[in-house]
Amino acid sequence: MSSLQGYVDRRVLLILQDGRAIAGVLVGFDQKSNVVLSDSIERVYSMEEGVEEIPLGLYLVKGDMIVLIGEIDDAVDTAVDLSTIHAEPLPAIRY
Amino acid sequence: MLIFSVFKTLTDQQVTVELKNDLSITGVLKSVDQFLNIRLDAIKVLDETRHPHMMAVKNCFIRGSVVRYVQLPAEHVDTQLLEDATRREAANQGKR
Amino acid sequence: MDPSSTGIQEPFDLIRLSLSERVFVKLRGDREITGVLHAYDGHMNLILSDVEETIMIVDVADGASEDQGTVKVAKRKMDMLFVRGDGVILVSPPSRA
Repeated sequence: MSSLQGYVDRRVLLILQDGRAIAGVLVGFDQKSNVVLSDSIERVYSMEEGVEEIPLGLYLVKGDMIVLIGEIDDAVDTAVDLSTIHAEPLPAIRY
Repeated sequence: MLIFSVFKTLTDQQVTVELKNDLSITGVLKSVDQFLNIRLDAIKVLDETRHPHMMAVKNCFIRGSVVRYVQLPAEHVDTQLLEDATRREAANQGKR
Repeated sequence: MDPSSTGIQEPFDLIRLSLSERVFVKLRGDREITGVLHAYDGHMNLILSDVEETIMIVDVADGASEDQGTVKVAKRKMDMLFVRGDGVILVSPPSRA
């Protein structure tokens, strides 16, 4: 699975099956798309408040739990003031 | 294997992937593997105001297992070829 | 009917004989689609064209029991669609009416 190779050492956004969003640097992955993220931060979305960022540190995420891995464009990301973003959390995967 | 081949022929075409969490992502198909994991470039999330989570994401890897549908560009799909290939694969399966 | 005369001996034969015909597909998540079948594989991954999808959305009012909900139906059309096999509940060949 060469598809994740280009993301190593890049900042990525992980979307998980339960709807959680985690940003971090992709330090490694394997065949089953298990991934290791360093300096990871969970981004908690809600309608009531701006996005809350919770530092998680070094994380290994099981491939089965992953919906999507996106490469973060740092220029765009830093330009966004997350405290002004109000949104529903992403829905969880059903079945 | 057949479906994998179809996706390979659609590399560099625009597709819309609908996920099982109801998120729809349009983008250019860059690659696909045997699990039907998908790499998309120049992505756009449908209804971005409701889903600002991916604002800073320009390309992504989607796990095949969370895909519900992929909308394909009909003009780049040879349906006759597909049906022939499907019959051939079904015949081979029977022999095994 | 004698199975040898119809050419249908196992379930997938029924799908094979529906190639290039309009089929009805029932999916998980209260979804149904009809479309012209062009490809399938052993996982029941499908490729269909001229697709119409129907989604049943059940609104259950707070405090109401499940069978009191109102059902909304949403429809949409798609030109060419890949359907992942894990969501497929059944594939029904065209009616020969």
